[in-house]
Amino acid sequence: MPGLFGILSLGSRSLQTQQSGIEVAGHNIANANNTGYTRQRLLVQATSQAGGQYGSIGTGIEGVAVQQLRDVLLDAQITSETSISGSLDAQQTALQQAQASLGEQLDRLASGTDSTNAIGNTHSLSTGLSDLFNAFQTLANDPTSPSARQSVLLKAQSLGGQFNQIKTRFDELDKQLNQSVGSDVQSANQLMSDIAKLNGQITANEAGDPGSANDLRDLREQKLEALAKIVKVDVANGSNGAVDLSIGGVSMVSGKSVADTLQTVDPGNGRLLVQAAGAGTTLNMTGGSLHGTIDARDSAIANTESQVNALAAAMIKEVNAVHATGFSQGGTSGNDFFTGTGAGNIAVNNALVVNPSLIQASGDATAAGNNKVALALAQLGTKPFASLGNQSFAQNYSATVASLGSSLNTVNNQIGDQGVVTQMLKAQRDSSSGVSLDEEMTDLTRYQKAYQASARLINTIDDLLDVALSLKR
Amino acid sequence: MRITSNFYADTLVRQLSTLENRQARLQQQAATGQRIVTADDDPLAMRQVLDLQGQGANLSQYAANIARQQETASATYSVMTGLKKISDRASELATMADGTKPKDQLAIYAKEVTQLIQQAVQAANAKNRESYLLSGTKTDQAPYSVTTDANGNVTAVSYNGNTDQASSEVASGITLSAGTIGSNSTGSGPLGLVSDTRTGADFFNHLISLQNNLLAGNSAAVQSTDKANMSADENNLLSQIGSNGAMQARLETLASLNQSQQSDTEKAVSNVADADITQTIVKLNSTQTAYQAALQSGAKVLNMSLLDYLR
Repeated sequence: MPGLFGILSLGSRSLQTQQSGIEVAGHNIANANNTGYTRQRLLVQATSQAGGQYGSIGTGIEGVAVQQLRDVLLDAQITSETSISGSLDAQQTALQQAQASLGEQLDRLASGTDSTNAIGNTHSLSTGLSDLFNAFQTLANDPTSPSARQSVLLKAQSLGGQFNQIKTRFDELDKQLNQSVGSDVQSANQLMSDIAKLNGQITANEAGDPGSANDLRDLREQKLEALAKIVKVDVANGSNGAVDLSIGGVSMVSGKSVADTLQTVDPGNGRLLVQAAGAGTTLNMTGGSLHGTIDARDSAIANTESQVNALAAAMIKEVNAVHATGFSQGGTSGNDFFTGTGAGNIAVNNALVVNPSLIQASGDATAAGNNKVALALAQLGTKPFASLGNQSFAQNYSATVASLGSSLNTVNNQIGDQGVVTQMLKAQRDSSSGVSLDEEMTDLTRYQKAYQASARLINTIDDLLDVALSLKR
Repeated sequence: MRITSNFYADTLVRQLSTLENRQARLQQQAATGQRIVTADDDPLAMRQVLDLQGQGANLSQYAANIARQQETASATYSVMTGLKKISDRASELATMADGTKPKDQLAIYAKEVTQLIQQAVQAANAKNRESYLLSGTKTDQAPYSVTTDANGNVTAVSYNGNTDQASSEVASGITLSAGTIGSNSTGSGPLGLVSDTRTGADFFNHLISLQNNLLAGNSAAVQSTDKANMSADENNLLSQIGSNGAMQARLETLASLNQSQQSDTEKAVSNVADADITQTIVKLNSTQTAYQAALQSGAKVLNMSLLDYLR
């Protein structure tokens, strides 16, 4: 039986406990807008004393622990989905830039106003292609006309310029994507080192009281998700509250120490890949923005680049081959029409630019009005080539545009789906771990009232003690 | 489900962003009238549009080629009718130069024939856009040159062109030439307008023979050979004029076919690429309504909490 003093200490314990409750509620309210925060709850238990006059009798309350309402399964799911979103987002960014680099946009309202083409107009390589072959047609109509020759050269120069520009843009894009791989690797290394440090702090903090370093765990979960956005990591729960991380089977963080770091490596083609610095193995990543950037760069974007390059190479080869069979206005031959080997350096032979009469449009050295070669050049525009998958130049190019567009379209759709999944998971986590201000206000009121009542209890005991002490007088 | 304080805010932000995206896309569709702008909007449709636009560009070039051939055909027609008039007058003179005419008269006729030859050579050396019409592909050389003797009588008219013809592509894979060459003595290739071994036409030589026979006062030879020759040449010219007419009709048909192909292509592009404006506007309106509703309800819900009721 506690006696009056015992009840006094009961009241004081109760005051302390209610105060702790208010502290926890206050901490929750303070972190209401902290997205990485998991709401906490004060666990309490009733205390009792055995062997009283009436058996066991209660001695009030005590706080046991501050518990986090964390759903570990949801956290793991969100971490893994974050990697997928990270990869898709990176792919989307890269592919959008690639699509912009091709510059193929449909603008039907502009059709007919600024172009001879009444059907519709895209200001791009596809227009450039049909413009050049139409200029050859016009030249075939008037093989000796200086203006037709000039027009062929202008259109060919503009097409060459478009090829060069696309190549430059894609080179620039590759450079940017390499930079983004580099900066991702840096951030990932930083995050892994942070996580290792947090592992150490959590282990130290939780000595003898596992799972108690609530806010450190929140911080580590935030870092883990940030890391998962960059690269897919396998997370294993280690000993003493630490987590062990590995990427592609290579251990990266083990307890409080960093086992290995990431570094970029050039496989020889200038397209940076990622490897484990210590293990020296190139990592095969399956998620995260590193995977997305590398995947978009090395598949869809690299394909587009090589297709555009192959198209330019085929243009140079085929146009020159036909041009070589012809004769200039003066009956001479031997000048190439295009110089260069691909999209990067395709250009109109400068000799022709200086002297348009050197265009070898005639099939007969003695007849300037012969247009056989000009016509054959014009007809190259619709001719299918085995090297281009039995497509004409223009068809091959529109296939390239469509194939890049389709990659981006697929990623866009996947991002839409992925967004739904991530949102659902986040809503679920928010539902169990998020702070509700209404709830906290209710708790606050509850603890406040209990605190007031406990104070009243102490007041009452004080009065009783006064009565008891006055008995002596 | 337990609803937390951030749930409303997060959901509202997400909903508004979705609705804004949708509005932006619909607004773009309404403003441009297009369903697709970039390839990722609809890769397959983009490919179709690009291919169709390529076809459209080809068709408008074919239309330009047809117009160019029509121009050649009509310029050639003028040459033909010019030559026909000369041929008519020469036949007339041949008919008039019968046995009843005195030698002096025949000599006067001969002078006129000489003039007619010069005139015919001039007509046959006609140019269109700085290119000679009848010299085959040697368009920079006058097709006919005249040799005269000391008296100004024509002794020879020689052909400097070739038997080759420049053709244009007037429809996918179809090339044709609406022009004509002057002479063809090879026995193959296009028919010569003024002389061809296959038809027996040899306008200038026949005129020279007429001129010479008239000068010689040989009205019998005029009547027996030259008249018949002249009539063969006339027939040849008539048949060439007929072919030219047929070619012009063919070009006319090709032009109207081309036009309807162009409008078909335009329709096809429209079917693939254009937005259904009515549907777009209706969708845009309903999205706007949803957006307003989200804003209003969000503003109400976000503002309320237990704090409003606790003292």
